[in-house]
Amino acid sequence: MLCQFCGKREATIHFTNMVGNEVEKIHLCKQCAEEKGFDYLKKSNIEKGDLIGGLMGFSKGSVSEKKPGNICPNCGMKYAFLKKGGLLGCSQCYASFSEQLFPLLKSIHGDTRHTGKIPSRFGKEVSLERKMIKLREELNSAVEVENYEKAAVIRDKINNLKDSKKDGGQ
Amino acid sequence: MKNDFEKLTSSSAEWLTKGKFEDDMVLSTRVRMARNLEKGTFTNWSDEKGLKELRDKIKGAVLGTKLLADGLVIDMDDHSELERMMLAERRLISQKMVKFFQNRSLIVSRDERLGAMVNEEDHLRLYATDAGLSVEKVFLKVNLLDDQIDKKLSYAYSRRIGYLTACPTNVGTGLRISTLVHLPGLVHNNDIRQVIDGMRHVRLSVRGTYGEGSEVVGNIFQVSNSITLGLSEQETVKNMELHLRKVLEFEKKARDRLMKEAHTLLKDRVYRSFGVLKNARIINSKEAMRLISEVRMGVGIGILSDISLVDLNEMLIKIQPIHLQDFSGKVMNPEERDIARADYIRFILKGNGKA
Repeated sequence: MLCQFCGKREATIHFTNMVGNEVEKIHLCKQCAEEKGFDYLKKSNIEKGDLIGGLMGFSKGSVSEKKPGNICPNCGMKYAFLKKGGLLGCSQCYASFSEQLFPLLKSIHGDTRHTGKIPSRFGKEVSLERKMIKLREELNSAVEVENYEKAAVIRDKINNLKDSKKDGGQ
Repeated sequence: MKNDFEKLTSSSAEWLTKGKFEDDMVLSTRVRMARNLEKGTFTNWSDEKGLKELRDKIKGAVLGTKLLADGLVIDMDDHSELERMMLAERRLISQKMVKFFQNRSLIVSRDERLGAMVNEEDHLRLYATDAGLSVEKVFLKVNLLDDQIDKKLSYAYSRRIGYLTACPTNVGTGLRISTLVHLPGLVHNNDIRQVIDGMRHVRLSVRGTYGEGSEVVGNIFQVSNSITLGLSEQETVKNMELHLRKVLEFEKKARDRLMKEAHTLLKDRVYRSFGVLKNARIINSKEAMRLISEVRMGVGIGILSDISLVDLNEMLIKIQPIHLQDFSGKVMNPEERDIARADYIRFILKGNGKA
C-alpha cells in the first residue's frame, strides 16, 4: 500500500481514526510520518483520533470539528495538532488560531506588534497606519499632562493623515 | 565539467578563511531571514507536488535577483546524504535539510557569503555570513537580497505581526543574528556563567557551537537574538552589537588578567596544546577543537605566531568528519577518522609552522 500523503513510498505506519461513528484508516510512509511529526505523536498519550482529524484535513470529509478556532479553514491544520508539532500549516493559520496564538507570541517575544520591515506591496498603507498609532499615543500623553495646545496640533496632524489616507487609500 | 556542488566544495569556505580579523574573538557573524509565500501551505504541510511548484517558483525569483543571478544551484535530490552532510558542515544548509531533502534546494554565491535555502522550515531562508564581528554589514547584505526578492514574490505578511513564519518563534522580522564567539578567557576565570546569564537578560541566547541543543566545544559559543517580534531589524542589529561588544570587553579583560597574573602558566598551556596538535597520531574531534581553541587564544594574545588565525579557522571546518573523508578520499569509521584528523593537522602545521 502506498503512502496517502506522498503517494510514492510504501506506507509502513498505520493509524486508525474515529470520525463520528466512522472508522478512517490512515497510512503513511516513514518519511512523511516523521515530517508531519508523527514520530512525536506516537510518544504522546493524547488520543490519536483527536490529532489525526486535523492532520488529515487535506483529505476531504474527514474533519469532524468545524468550530472556528479549532481548525484552519485554509489548510486544514488543527489546533490540537499544532500544539504537538509546533509548526503552523499556512499563513492563514495565524488568523485562524489568533485567540490561542497571541498569548503565546506575547510570552515568547514579550510583544505582539511588528515594528520592523514592511513588504513593498504593503509599504504605504502600513507606514501610514504606524504613524497614526504613534500620533494617537502622543495625543493621549499630551492630554494626560493637560497640554491642550500640543494636543490640538497633534489632532490636526491626525486629521490630515486621515484625509491623505482617504485620497490615496484603496 | 564540474557541477555546482564540486565547484563549491573544491575550495574552502571563504567567509571563514579570507576575512579580515580585526577581532580574533569573533569567528563569524551570520544573519538569516525567514520568509514564506502568501499563497499555498508552509513547507512542512505541503505535499510533494506543492513543494515542487514552490521550489520552481522561488528558485526562479532568487536567480532573478542581481545579488544571486550567478549563484551556484544545488538541488538536494541530486546529492547523496554524505554530500549533504558536507554542505551542513560548511554551514550552507541546515541539519534539517540533510534529512528532508526532496524538493529542497540551495542557491549560494561562489564565495559562500550569501545564500538562500529553499523549502527549509520556511519557504525561504536567506542568509549572509562573514568573518569577524560585522553585524550591520552582514545584515545589510541579506536585507538587500530580501528587497530584491520582495519585488518578485508576494510574501506572507500581517500588518500586526509582520512576516509570517512556520514557527511562531520567528514571526515578526524573521531575523536571526548569530555570532560564533571564542571566550576561553571567561571560561578560564569562571565568569562565563555570569556573562551567559547577563546575555539571557538582554534577550540574547547562548548555545553550543552547532546551535540548539549542542554542547560547547573548544570554548566557542553561539550567541543569537532570541526575539523577533516588537523590535525592528535595526534595533535588533544595534542590540546585538552593543551587548556583544560588552562581552568581548570582558573577554579581553580576562585575557589581560591571565597574561599578567599567570603568564608562564598560560604560555605553557598554549605551547602544550600546540605540541600535541603537531605530534598527535590519533585525535578525536573534541580534543582537536579544544586544543585548537587554546592555540587560537595564544595567537590572539600574541604568545604564538607560528600559525595564522585564518589557518586555525579553516582547520575547525576541515577536521569535521565529512570534510576529513573528502580530504582522505574515502569513507572511514570513527577510529580511522581520528588517525586521518591527526594526519591532516600535522600536515597543515608542518606546512605553515616554523618548527
